[in-house]
Formats: sequence, C-alpha cells, structure tokens
Amino acid sequence: MPTSPSFLHRLPVLILLMLAAPASAQVGATASGTDAIEIPAADAQPAAVPVPDLREQLAACAICHGEHGEGATEGGEYFPHLAGKPAGYLLAQMQAFRDGRRLYPRMVYLMQYMDDGWLGEIAHWYAAQPAHTQRVESTALDAAARARAETLVYSGDPERGLPACAACHGDRLTGVEPGIPALVGLPTDYLIAQLGGWITGARSSKAPDCMADIARRIDPVDIRLVSTWLAGQSAAPGERPLPAGSVEPPMPCGSLTAAHDPAVTTEASP
Amino acid sequence: MNRRGIRWGRLALLLPLLAILLVGVLMFRAQGGFAPFKVPEEGSRPAALDDAQVEHGAYLARIGNCVTCHTTRGGTPYSGGRVFQSEYGSIHAGNLTPDPETGLGDWTLEEFRHAMRHGVSRTGPLYPVFPFANFAHLTDHDLDALFAFLGTLPPVKAAAPENVLTFPASWRHGAVLAWRMLFHRPRTQADDPSKPAQWNRGRYLVDGLGHCDMCHSGRGAMQSLPVEQYMAGGHITGLGWYAPPLDRISLERWDTAELADYLRSGVSRHGSAYGSMAEVIYTSLQYLDEGDALAIATYIKTIEPSLSRRARARNRGDLVTTGPASANGLLIYQNHCAQCHGDDGRGRGLDYPPLAGNPLVASASAVNSVRLVLFGGAAPTTEGNPRPYSMPPYVGRLADDEIAAVVSYIRAAWGNGAPPVSLDEVRALRRIPLD
Ligand code: HEC
Ligand code: HEC
Ligand code: HEC
Ligand code: HEC
Ligand code: HEC
Repeated sequence: MPTSPSFLHRLPVLILLMLAAPASAQVGATASGTDAIEIPAADAQPAAVPVPDLREQLAACAICHGEHGEGATEGGEYFPHLAGKPAGYLLAQMQAFRDGRRLYPRMVYLMQYMDDGWLGEIAHWYAAQPAHTQRVESTALDAAARARAETLVYSGDPERGLPACAACHGDRLTGVEPGIPALVGLPTDYLIAQLGGWITGARSSKAPDCMADIARRIDPVDIRLVSTWLAGQSAAPGERPLPAGSVEPPMPCGSLTAAHDPAVTTEASP
Repeated sequence: MNRRGIRWGRLALLLPLLAILLVGVLMFRAQGGFAPFKVPEEGSRPAALDDAQVEHGAYLARIGNCVTCHTTRGGTPYSGGRVFQSEYGSIHAGNLTPDPETGLGDWTLEEFRHAMRHGVSRTGPLYPVFPFANFAHLTDHDLDALFAFLGTLPPVKAAAPENVLTFPASWRHGAVLAWRMLFHRPRTQADDPSKPAQWNRGRYLVDGLGHCDMCHSGRGAMQSLPVEQYMAGGHITGLGWYAPPLDRISLERWDTAELADYLRSGVSRHGSAYGSMAEVIYTSLQYLDEGDALAIATYIKTIEPSLSRRARARNRGDLVTTGPASANGLLIYQNHCAQCHGDDGRGRGLDYPPLAGNPLVASASAVNSVRLVLFGGAAPTTEGNPRPYSMPPYVGRLADDEIAAVVSYIRAAWGNGAPPVSLDEVRALRRIPLD
C-alpha cells in the first residue's frame, strides 16, 4: 500500500548523471541494426531445458521481458533480459521487489503475492534460457575515457576505495553463479539507473550492501563513463556466468552470503 | 468515486449540533456509554497456558490477518508501521510485538481484551480502520490465545510513525468520539440456536476475526458501515479495488465445497483471486483449516442480498457512454484475449477464469476489469495453486479507448448484459497507485 514513487526517487540522480556527461564521451553513435539486441526467434527451442516449460504461466512477464526472457525495449524504456542470468540473482531480485528492497511499482505489483517456492522455479526457468551477452549499444569513447573506464572495471580506484568490477563480476564480466549478474548485454541507461537506484535507495540488496557502497564511491561522472563503456562490451554468444566460487569478492556482499539456492525454499513471508 | 462520504467540513457543522445535550447523551449511550473509555489499569499478564494455546493464537492471528495490517512491506512481522490512506489523511497501525516501550510489552491481558472489544486503549479511542467492531465478537478463549501468541513474538523496538491527518480527524479524542457517537453501535452476537453449528461458526469467523465486511460491505458517510449495506459490495478505501457482494444470489454459482476450496487456494473454475482478495488469501485465508473454510462458505452463501445493492445496480445512469463501437471491442477481444479466455468467454479450467456469466465482470463497478486489463495480474501462490497463471498488462499496448472498448465488450457479451465503461473511467484508473 505505501506508494513507491521509484521513478521520482530516481529522477534527481538520473538528471545529475545525465548532466555529468563527460566531455570526452562522444555520445550519439548508437549502433542499431546488425549488432543490436539479439533476440532468439520466437519459436526457437532453447537448448536442453531442465525445468518444466513455464511460458504459459509467465505470459504476463513475456509482455515486457520477452517470451524466453530475452528482454525488450519499448518507448525508450528498457525491460531487462532475464535469460541466462544466475538463478540465485534472479530470485533475490524478485524477492527484493516483493519485500520492498527494490522499487519499481509494476514489478512490485506482480510479485507481491508470490512465495519463494514459485519465485525459485521462475528463476530457474529464466536462468536455463540462452544467456544474452551481446552489446546492445556502442558509443564511441575517446582513448582517455576508454582508459579510465577500463581502469575502473579491471583495476578499480584504490584512492576511492573502489574495487575492480571484474573482481566480482568475473574477468569477462559475464557474472558468477549463483548471485552475481553479468554486466554485458545491458544498455547505458539501465546501468545508470541501477547504480543511481543504489544511491537513492530505490534499489537495495541484503546488508552488507556492497553494490550500494560501490555506487556511492564512484564519482557521478565515472558512473556514466563506466556504464557507457560496459554497454559497448560483448562476451561470446550465450556465454554463461562463471561457476560458483570462481571469484573471491574483495568486500562482503549480503546477497552472496545469504542462502542462495532457490531450491531451498522458505515459507511465504507476508 | 467518492460519492459516499460527507466531508469533514460538514462534520464541523454537525459538531455544535451534537453538543445539544439530549441527543448527545443518547448518542453517547448508543456508542457504549462510559464503559469503553475505562481502559483497565490493573490486571495481569499471564504466561501462555501451553503450546496448544499459542498455536491456536497463531492460527487466529492468521485468520484475523493482524500481520498484514501491522507490518510494512518487507518489515519485521507484527512490528507495525503500515499506512492506511483515506480522504482524511494517513493512519499507521502500531507495533504488536512485546516490546515494552513501543509495542504491547507492558500491556495486561485486560487491556488487550478491552482494546479489541471496545476500540479504546491507552493510546485513546482508536480509529475505525482497526476492525474492533468485528473483533468485539471474539470469545475470551480466542482473545486470550491471541494475546498469548503475540507475547511469544520476538520484541522489536519500532514506534509507528505519526499519523498525518487533517483537522478535525487529527484530533483523536474528539473525532473518534464523534464518529463513534454517530456510527458505532456495539453488537454482540450470540449463536443462533435455529441454525446448524457450522453456520454459526462461519458467521463467527466472517463477522469476527475475518472482518470480511471491511471490504465487502457498502460504506456510508465517513467510512461507516451501515447495517443495511452488509456485504452489499464496496470500493476499498485507498486501494481502488471493488469487493463484490457476498450473498445467496451472487454466490449461487459456487457449491459450498468449491467456495471453501477457493478461499484456501485462490483459484476455481468460477474465477481466481486478484487485488485485495489475492492479498487476503495469500496472507490469511490460505491457512484456514478445512472445517473453517467450509463453515465460512456455508454462511456466506446464506446471506440475504441487501436492498441497497439492488437499488445501486439500477442507479447506473452516471456513466457517459462515449462508447466506441462494440465491433471494435470484439476485434480487440479476438486478437488479444480469446487465446486465454476463449471465443465463448468460458476460460480454461482453473488456468484462465471465465468472463461469460461472471458477475464480477458484469458488476455495477467496472474498476476491477479495467485494472486487470491495464496492469495485468496473477492469482496468489498457495499450497493449492503453487504455480499461478498470469494475465498480461495492456497499458502501453492498447490505447485507453481500446481498453474501454474491450472491457465494454466483455461486459455486454455472452449475456453479461452490463452497461459499457467510459473512457474517463479508464483514464482515471490508469493513474491509480499500484502497490
Ligand atoms: C510492465 C513491464 C513488466 C512486466 C509485465 C514484468 N516486468 Fe519484470 N521488470 C520490468 C522492469 C522495467 C524491470 C527493471 C526495474 C528496475 O529498473 O529496477 C524489471 C525487472 C525484473 C527482474 C530483475 C532483473 C535484473 O536483471 O535485475 C526480474 C527477475 C523480473 N523483472 C521478473 C519478472 C517476472 C517473473 C515477471 C512476470 C511475473 C515480470 N518481471 C513482469 C518490467 C516488467
Ligand atoms: C564486491 C563484489 C562486487 C563488486 C566489486 C562489484 N559488484 Fe556489481 N554486483 C555485485 C552483486 C553481488 C550484485 C547483485 C546485487 C543484488 O543481488 O542485488 C551486483 C549487481 C550489479 C549491477 C546490477 C545488474 C543488473 O542486471 O541489474 C550492476 C549494474 C553492477 N553490479 C555494476 C557494477 C560495477 C559498475 C562495478 C565496478 C565499479 C561493480 N558492479 C563491482 C557485486 C559486486
Ligand atoms: C484492517 C487492518 C487491521 C487489521 C486486520 C488489524 N489491525 Fe490492529 N490496528 C489497525 C490500525 C490502523 C490500528 C491503529 C489505530 C489507531 O491508531 O487509532 C490498530 C491498532 C491495534 C491495537 C491498538 C494498539 C495501541 O497501541 O493502542 C491493537 C491491540 C491491535 N490493533 C491488535 C490487532 C490484532 C490482535 C489484530 C488481529 C486479530 C489486528 N489488530 C488486526 C489495523 C488493523
Ligand atoms: C482487503 C479487502 C477484502 C477482504 C478483507 C476480504 N475480501 Fe473478499 N474480495 C475482495 C475483492 C477486492 C474481491 C474481488 C476480486 C476477486 O474476486 O479476487 C473479493 C472477492 C471475493 C470472493 C469472490 C466473489 C465472487 O463472486 O467471485 C469471495 C468468495 C470473497 N471475496 C470472500 C471473502 C471472505 C469470506 C472474506 C473474509 C474472510 C473476504 N472475502 C475478505 C476484497 C476483500
Ligand atoms: C495469457 C492469458 C490471458 C490473456 C491473453 C488475457 N487474460 Fe484475462 N486473465 C487471465 C488470468 C490468468 C486471469 C486471472 C488473474 C488473477 O487472478 O489475478 C485473468 C483475469 C481476467 C479478468 C478478471 C475476471 C474476474 O473474475 O473478475 C478479466 C476481466 C480479464 N482477465 C479480461 C481480459 C481481457 C479483456 C483480455 C484481453 C485484452 C485478457 N483478459 C487477456 C489470463 C489472460
């Protein structure tokens, strides 16, 4: 019942971030066409699906996220792809919408009366679909900007106490089972909105909330820069997240220590 | 949609009138006299009798749905803070955990019983969002079990935020007293010996703990619940859903066992739960034991339809029919809806609800249908329905006039015979808060 004006929450940060567009980035050269969103043909059967087909039950989700969770863009809004993301991550996000840690009214509305058992099954189903790892945009960055972004992503910024993104998200930025999502295959605006969400509180994860700490430590100019750079990266088509245990997170994340196996279900928490 | 309430402005005019002694005294007596305001100061805080009592209390708390009103989204259960919006502002439900400062930690059993029965505690007279008129029906045995259960919760220090109300609603003692004098008529309900025990049990649960009338009854002035609109159907304050009438005629299509199943599982071949009813089933009714579910179904199927409900159904002249051709509605239906609800509108088993012959679709208020088409929905997960089917949202894919056309179509088709829905109604609902 409490209204969650997530967009309004987010607005000031978004404006701030948009205004902070670095002089060095030549935004505008957005690729469309050949290497834009890769959506599997509607009737393409995903490779071995170890879980029952939930497409009928998930008809509502398909409207925004695509029939296999391949994602979609509509009227300038991006509906994130779910396909191939780690099941534990997907489950945590759906619980976060339901339990008030991530505010996006239309998602909250659909998640609010779903228990962990069902959300776990949904998570497994989307996780089993082909991963979407191709870049969705490419914005030309000049050499200095590119170098700064690569430093942040692969080495971090010790002065700001900022660990490398790759230290958790994996060397190829494809994420790590069971709780860390890929950073490739997402558009700039979505990435900015998520990092902004951690700053405003529209998005939060279980404490200690490592991503909130990280988002607050990055300079707003760097948020835009890193997001723009990330949106231009791809991994191999269908490349899966790294297996569990592949990385040793440089700082504690509550969402990684919490029981993450969606098969282990807890009772509906109203 | 707020055609019912007199506003507080008018109450301001009424207040001096109430001061006229005689009327005042009579009304004061009618709301219970002085007794409700004598909150017991002495008393004891007995330890729970045994595990069985605590377990019984936990069950009752489920059916009374204390947790839903007394918990914020994602908050610690029973620690309070949920906000209730109305035209007068917002009211917060308090902390029911046994924290001595901010919860019920230093309450005695006597004070708890008193607050539940009379709606007055050390806080003062309580706003009627708290269903004390319902809880007044509870036996000592049940109230004591509830208190014993609440006492076993881990104490949480959490003071509810201040209420934000406009004057005079903000003046707790004055406004609630005035409201009580005007509308509160304490009624205790003895079992009706001419009826079977199951029926009596059903009525005890429906009118008492279940507080079904808080949503399913029509509202009078200032959010009151006039007896003549008992279970006549009503709009839910602040949430915008419409709860349909519950009575002998509206529930004719269900047999008792089916209805009992629906209350626990949220699905049936007559329809599935959504909106506030999905919440009630998810957080509360799914935990009903079989006997109690049957008792509730038995009772609600015998309620006589209220006269005001019939009158209201006739008075639907207020709608402007900017009606787009229904041919358009049929076309949209075939393209977007028939794949699930069927060309004949009969749905598919437990998966997709029927629209043909569904009184909710043909009901006087079209808000539920419009909202589902705009924003979609899914029945709650329950043990009986662990993988609910879902209805896709159409906002953004169908224009407002197309939504008006398709909803008008399903309201009229297959003999549903309900009047069309206006474009304005669709536009107004588009802005409704979603969660
Ligand atoms: C109205 C469009 C819409 C519908 C319908 C919808 N979603 Fe979403 N979903 C979104 C948007 C937009 C986001 C990103 C929200 C944000 O920015 O925080 C999202 C986020 C998610 C995420 C988190 C993704 C991530 O990578 O962090 C999951 C998981 C998800 N949705 C699952 C579902 C499921 C399951 C359903 C069906 C029951 C569903 N969604 C229906 C729009 C929708
Ligand atoms: C200490 C480990 C760690 C580091 C370092 C880290 N992340 Fe994350 N990141 C996570 C975890 C864990 C999540 C999932 C959070 C959740 O469950 O809500 C996440 C999620 C995200 C998401 C959300 C993706 C989506 O699909 O919604 C973005 C964006 C993100 N990280 C960006 C970054 C960037 C940019 C950096 C480097 C500046 C970075 N992360 C560094 C652990 C880390
Ligand atoms: C429909 C929502 C709703 C339900 C259901 C509900 N309550 Fe409440 N309750 C409230 C609200 C709102 C208040 C605060 C009223 C006020 O401040 O005047 C309240 C107040 C109370 C109080 C008084 C607290 C104080 O500090 O004076 C008690 C005791 C209480 N509720 C117990 C319960 C129990 C036990 C149940 C379950 C059997 C329950 N409530 C179910 C909404 C609800
Ligand atoms: C918080 C508000 C609320 C409460 C409390 C509530 N309901 Fe409902 N109920 C609704 C709404 C809204 C609908 C219409 C949506 C639907 O059918 O799912 C509904 C629908 C129903 C239906 C379906 C009627 C039909 O003809 O299809 C039944 C039966 C029902 N409620 C029974 C009950 C019973 C019994 C109780 C008390 C134990 C109760 N409700 C308490 C809001 C509520
Ligand atoms: C993918 C299948 C699907 C499609 C397509 C679909 N619906 Fe539904 N519909 C459902 C399901 C499932 C429910 C039950 C939702 C719930 O209980 O929350 C439902 C519920 C409804 C209800 C509520 C019925 C009641 O008992 O009050 C109405 C009205 C409705 N749909 C109308 C439509 C219209 C109009 C369209 C086309 C614009 C449509 N539906 C398209 C699956 C679908």
